[in-house]
Amino acid sequence: MARHDDGVITVGRSRTGTFFANATGIVFGLIMIFPVYWVLNTAFKPDREVRSFTPTFWPHDFTLDNFKSALGEELFIPSMVNGLIITAMAVAAALVVGFLAALAIARFSFYGRKAIILVVLAVQLVPFLALLIPLFLMLQSVNLTNSLVGVALVYLVLLLPYTVWTLRGFISGIPRELDEAAMIDGCTRAQVFWRIILPLTGPGLVATSVYGFIQAWNEFIIINTLNDPKNQNLMAWLLYNQTERGTAWGPLMAGAIITSIPVVVFFLLIQRNIATGLTAGAVKG
Amino acid sequence: MRHGKYPFIIGFLAVPVALYATFVVAAYIQTFQLSVASWSGFGPIKYVGFDNFVKLWNDDLFWKSLRHNGYLLLLLPIVTIALGLLFAFLLNVGGGSKGGMTRGVWGSKVYRVIFFFPQLMALAIVAVIFGRVFASDKSGMINGLLPDSWAPWLFLADERWALTCILVVLVWQAVGFYVVLFSAGMGSIEHEIYEAAALDGATRVTLFFRITLPLLWGTIQTAWVYLGIAAFDAFALINIMTVDRGGPDGATSVLAMMIYRNTFEYSQVGYASALGVVLFFLTLTFAALTLRVTRRDAV
Repeated sequence: MARHDDGVITVGRSRTGTFFANATGIVFGLIMIFPVYWVLNTAFKPDREVRSFTPTFWPHDFTLDNFKSALGEELFIPSMVNGLIITAMAVAAALVVGFLAALAIARFSFYGRKAIILVVLAVQLVPFLALLIPLFLMLQSVNLTNSLVGVALVYLVLLLPYTVWTLRGFISGIPRELDEAAMIDGCTRAQVFWRIILPLTGPGLVATSVYGFIQAWNEFIIINTLNDPKNQNLMAWLLYNQTERGTAWGPLMAGAIITSIPVVVFFLLIQRNIATGLTAGAVKG
Repeated sequence: MRHGKYPFIIGFLAVPVALYATFVVAAYIQTFQLSVASWSGFGPIKYVGFDNFVKLWNDDLFWKSLRHNGYLLLLLPIVTIALGLLFAFLLNVGGGSKGGMTRGVWGSKVYRVIFFFPQLMALAIVAVIFGRVFASDKSGMINGLLPDSWAPWLFLADERWALTCILVVLVWQAVGFYVVLFSAGMGSIEHEIYEAAALDGATRVTLFFRITLPLLWGTIQTAWVYLGIAAFDAFALINIMTVDRGGPDGATSVLAMMIYRNTFEYSQVGYASALGVVLFFLTLTFAALTLRVTRRDAV
């Protein structure tokens, strides 16, 4: 143990060690942030600066043209609206269905409960791609291909396992004595769920809705398979435009930024709760 | 509490069970059916027995893809968890201690946000960015920084390195989440334990291996499962990033990639379904193994 004059006890005895720890942190921090910075850098540059072979690390002629042209692209706005509608439907449905299912699993013991838990886990592992063909045929037979509802239904199925699993963790964390006390005071079981468990599961609902939002907003393979170009979301639009117009980096990066905004805003709003939210369900296992 | 619980159970579980019965179970039954058929996606279905599986057994690309799946399944968790633990340790206790409290490195709150950013970026955007990072001419970020006299690195166009490039991107995107996950785990470890060990003269390395690692074991197992799933999902990235979708020359092909191409490019729905059946059993095996290894008291 080394005691220095300023009263600092350095773990591991050495200040060199602390220096290396800090240096590693900075280097890896830069690696993590660099691509993000590059997107921003490119999006605000005029085209000729983007194409120049000597890369500039700051836009010399700051411009918003790339954003204007991305917003003006055909189908950009409709794709954004589609994405919002699908995501909202899938997340809302996943929260309602998932909360009730989690309640049943966490608060009741019944025959087949373990089987359901295992199936929920297994479904998370199922390679969804292997199901694309049957899903397509199935949705086609009820006229739900090329529709926002069909995609939202598939997303709902994708989001449910995580939702159920996480909310189950949260609900199990609420002491049963609380339920019993409320019932002694005259609450019905439904009132217990509505007035006591639902509010206490709040952070879990936030965490799962964020997760669901990110998943649904970012998905592109399923929607691309099920729907026509007119009914795509922004992610699929972005990829399509990358392949169609390979080198218009400026507008593409601007489009990427606009596409990320909802997720980033969502993240910043709940940033403080995200660690607890994400881990509470995961760690309790 | 027992009275009248079944109406609740049935009511609460009816919708999810119905959804799974239709979208997962019924769909999988159909995949199994199609796996013994020869079908282009239209017209009549011809049943051909196990022909598809025989063809699979003799398909070099299948074995290559299987190896790539294994490579990602092994390396993605190992690399990500190692980096995640390192950063989480640095952020939480790596920076020495002051006034008797261990603390993270300078700026650790900022890192927490920075590390999370890649997680927020959609795969489509990540693919676009890393397409620029790995571009094989001078316009690429890495090649642009290399001296002019060097031959440009090919990255995704190089058979030997293409899959590693994919691994790098997957790790880059995943690591932030695990830093946060492990940080939360480390936050719940009593500071006194570190203080006591540090007073006894333990170095950072000892602290990490003797205290942090054993106490985090449960969380690490959870991370392993999630990363295993992510490795199976690598297809989405491979689909949009690699040369010729799984190329060059099959160097980045994985089973899911083969399924996709056989369905939508070659119209070999039967063959694709046979691959789907193989993938199904592989994931189940992985799930069963992980559940066994990470078995905890309370399910």
